[in-house]
Amino acid sequence: MTTSADTLVRRARVLGVSLPMPDAADRVVGTLEYTVDHSVEGMVHARLVRSPYPHARIIDVDVSGALAEDGVLRVVTGADIETAVEIPNPFFGLTRRDQAPLAIGKVRYVGDPVALVVAETPQTARAGAESVLVDYDELAYVVDPKDALVPDAPVLHDEWPGNECGEWRLDRGDVDGAMSNATHLFEATYTSPMANAVPFEPHVAIAVWVDDFLEVWTATQWPSAVRGELAHMFDIDPGKVQVRVFPLGGGYGAKSQLKIEPVVAAAARMMGRPVRLELDRDEVFLTTGKHPARMNIRTAVDAEGRFIAREIDLLYNGGAYAVVTPKAVAQGLLRSIGPYRFPNIRIRSRGVYTNTIPSGSFRGAMTNQAAFAYESHADEIAAGLGIDPYELRERNLLEDGDLFASGQVMHDIHFRELLQDVAKVIGWGKERASPAGKAIGKGLAVIIKTTPPGTRSEVRVEVHADGQVLVHTNSVDMGQGVLGTLAQLTAHHLGVDIEKVRVRDPDSSTFDSMTAGSRTTFVADHAIGEACESIRRQAAEIVAGRSYGSDPGTTPDYEEIMREASITALIGEGVYQSTPSDALSNPLDVKGEVADHWHQGAVAVEVAVDVETGKVEILRCHGAAWAGRVVNPIRARQQSEGSIIFGMGPALFEEVIFVDGQVSNPNLSDYMIPSIVDVPINLTSSSLESPDPDADIHGVGEMTIPAVAPAIANAIARATGARVRDLPMTAERVLRAILGEPE
Amino acid sequence: MSSNSQLTLSVNGNHVTVEVPADEALVHTLRDRLGLRSVRPTCGLGICGTCTVQLDGVVVSSCLLLTVQVSGRSIRTSEGLTNDDGSLSRVQQAFVDNGAYQCAYCIPGMVMTVEACFAESPNASVEEVREYLAGNLCRCGTYVSILEAVTELVKGERE
Repeated sequence: MTTSADTLVRRARVLGVSLPMPDAADRVVGTLEYTVDHSVEGMVHARLVRSPYPHARIIDVDVSGALAEDGVLRVVTGADIETAVEIPNPFFGLTRRDQAPLAIGKVRYVGDPVALVVAETPQTARAGAESVLVDYDELAYVVDPKDALVPDAPVLHDEWPGNECGEWRLDRGDVDGAMSNATHLFEATYTSPMANAVPFEPHVAIAVWVDDFLEVWTATQWPSAVRGELAHMFDIDPGKVQVRVFPLGGGYGAKSQLKIEPVVAAAARMMGRPVRLELDRDEVFLTTGKHPARMNIRTAVDAEGRFIAREIDLLYNGGAYAVVTPKAVAQGLLRSIGPYRFPNIRIRSRGVYTNTIPSGSFRGAMTNQAAFAYESHADEIAAGLGIDPYELRERNLLEDGDLFASGQVMHDIHFRELLQDVAKVIGWGKERASPAGKAIGKGLAVIIKTTPPGTRSEVRVEVHADGQVLVHTNSVDMGQGVLGTLAQLTAHHLGVDIEKVRVRDPDSSTFDSMTAGSRTTFVADHAIGEACESIRRQAAEIVAGRSYGSDPGTTPDYEEIMREASITALIGEGVYQSTPSDALSNPLDVKGEVADHWHQGAVAVEVAVDVETGKVEILRCHGAAWAGRVVNPIRARQQSEGSIIFGMGPALFEEVIFVDGQVSNPNLSDYMIPSIVDVPINLTSSSLESPDPDADIHGVGEMTIPAVAPAIANAIARATGARVRDLPMTAERVLRAILGEPE
Repeated sequence: MSSNSQLTLSVNGNHVTVEVPADEALVHTLRDRLGLRSVRPTCGLGICGTCTVQLDGVVVSSCLLLTVQVSGRSIRTSEGLTNDDGSLSRVQQAFVDNGAYQCAYCIPGMVMTVEACFAESPNASVEEVREYLAGNLCRCGTYVSILEAVTELVKGERE
C-alpha cells in the first residue's frame, strides 16, 4: 500500500498521442445519438411555410385550410408571435435584434419563414403547410450588394437606412503619399459568391417547457448564445434555460448563432407541448451561407517587390438579417490584411443588407474571401515584377516584433516555416513538362487569421472519490473530436489516466461563447489548466506540507487523499477570457490589440489544366498549420486535410446561385460538393510544432481552408498564364480566362 | 391519402412486419419505424450515400426506394454488420483503427459500400474501392483516412 503523502506516479504521455475518439465504435457503426435521433415524450412535429418572394408585405395568412387537415394542431404566424404575451421580446439577434422567429409585417428573402404548422406527425405538418395561404404585396427587392447601396435602393429594415449592416475602417501611415510616389501600382478586384456549408445532419431542434423552465435540444455550435437569446426573448432568467447538444453531424459554421431555436421554443411555449422541427435539405440551403464578398485591392510596390502601401475596399453581402454581419465585417477588415508588413494601409470593410439568405459563419469565415484576394494579388504582383512568388512573399512576410496593420506587435509568428514546409513538399521551383492538351503548374498561398475577440470559456473539473474525473464544458463535438481532446488535456493537467476522464456533452452547466473560430483547443487548454491547478492545490492543502506543482509527471493520488480526508470530490473551476482590448471600440478607426494570438497556415498545390475544356485537376496538395503543440495528431491532421477538401468545393465548383432572388440549386444534385474522386490521391499535411514544451496550443480547424482557393488560382495562372479572379473557378470560367473572353 | 400496406422484410437477419403508406421511402421505414439510426436521409436524391443499405447484398440508396417495392427482400444496415458477439466487422474495425471518422454522419454508409465492394470483388484494389465510394460523400473530408482504412483492408486481403 502506498500512502498519500508519498504517491507520485509517472504516467504515460497523453499529449501528442493519436487516441481514438471515446465513441469511435458508435460513430462507425452508426449507433451514436445525434440531435436528429432524439425524441421527447409527447412531442409534436412542425413544418415551416416559407416566403416565395424576395421582398413583400404580408397582407393575410389564411390558416383555415391547414387547420382543417386531420392531425394539424396549430398554425403559428408572425402576427401571433408579435402579440403573444408569453413572448415579450419577439426579435432576436446577437448583433442586432432584427429577426423574428416568423416574419412580422414583411418577408425579406425567398425562404423567409412565415408560418409554422404543428401537427401530430411530420407528414401531417407537411400537408398542413401546403394548405396555408399567404396573401403578399410584392415590394421592390435587391440582391446585389452594390445595388443595395445606391440612394433609391429598396430598404430592408427601416431602422437601418441605406441597408447599412456594419462599416469598419483602418487607416495607418500615408497611403496617398506612398501611392503617388510608388514605382509600381497594382490593382484588381476579386469576388466570392455564397456557398453553403452543407452539414449532413440538418438543423433540428426540440423545445420542452415545464412551467417557466425551457429545455432545448438543438444541433448548435453556440449553446450559450442560444440560451442567452432565448432567455431574453421570453424574459426569463438564463438559469431557466437549458440547452442540450449531442455531437453534431457536421457544423462548419452553419450551426452557429441562432437558427430555428426561437421558432421552436415560441411554438412550444404557445402550445404547452414539446415541439420538434427538422429542416429538409433545401431549407438548410435557405437558412444560412458564406458571406458573398467583393474585394478591391490597390498596392504600391517598390522595385524590389516590397509592399509600400495598400488600399482595400471590401463589400460583404449580409443577406436579409444581420445575424453576425455587423461584427463579422470587422473581422473581415482584420482578416483582409494578410501575413504581410504594410507601412501604409487603408481599409474599408462594409456589410450590407440584401434580399438574400442571411449570411453567417462558415468554416474559414471572412478569411476565405480575403485570402483568395490577397494571395491571388501577391502572385499578380510577383508576375508583374518578374519575381518568384515565394521570394516576393519572403520579402514581405511579418515576423516576430513586426507591427500588424492595426499597430499590434506580432508574436509567435511562423509564416516562413509554413511556407518552407509546403514549398519543400510540393517541390517548388521544379517544374514538370506538360503533356499535350494539359498545362501543369504549381501555386502556393499563406494566410493569417485573427482569433475571435471577446470570448469566454468556463470548465468545471470534478475528481470523484472513485477516481473518475468528470469534465463539464459547453464545447460542442462536431467531428473535430473535442470531447476526446478535452479529455486528453484534462488527463495531462491533472496527471491521471485518460481512461478515467469523461467529458460531458454540453448541458448549459458551464459557459462557452461558441465552438467556432478554431478557438476551443487553445482556450480549453487554459481553462482546464486552471481548473486542474486548483484541484492540485486543494490536494496539496489536504496533505499539509506537500506541494503538487504543475508538473503533470508528479501526481497526487487523489483517491487516497479523498479517502483519508473523508471527502467525496475535488472540484476545480477554470476560465479563459480573451484579453480586453479597445481596438474595435471605434468602427471608423480600428487600431491596437486585435487578437490574442494568430492562426497561421499555408497550402501548395500542383494542378493540371485541360486547355481545351478549362477543367482543373489537382494532382498534388499539401497544407501546413501552425499548431504550437499537437494534442492529438490524427485529429489535427484531419482538420488540415478536411479543411483542404472542404475548401476545394467553393474554390472549384460550389456556388449558391440566385435567379430573380430565388436560389436555383438548393440540393445536392445541382450544388455539388467534393467526393472522394475529386480529392488528389496525394493529399498531405503538416502540423508544425514549437520546440518549447510550454508553447501555446493553436487551434487548427481552419488554417488550410483559406489558402486553398488562392493556391489553386495561382497554380492555374502559372500553368496557363490566365488569371481567374472570381470564385468558383469552374471549367467555363478557366477556359474563358485562357481564351481571354469576358464572362 | 394512401392506405397502408402490411409487408414483411428481412432486416439484419430478422423477419419484421411493418405497416407503411405506399409512398414511404425505405430510409424512413428503417430509421423511424425500426430505429436503425445508421440509415440517414441527407440529400433525398440518391447522391450523398448516407442512407446506403444492402438490398440482397447490393448497395442501394434507401431514400430512392419505396418500402412497398422491397417487400419480402433482405436488407442489411450497418448495425447488422457487427458480429454476433457485438464485436465490429473487419471493415468497421479498420475504420476505427485508422481514425476514419469525424462527425461520422456518412461513415456507416461508407462502410456498407466498402463491405459490398469486397463482397463483389474480394481482390479489389484501393483504386477500385475508391471509385466504388464515389457515391458516398463526406463533408468533413475524411477521405484520406478512409483510403488508409481501405488500404489496410486491401493488404490484409492479399496476405
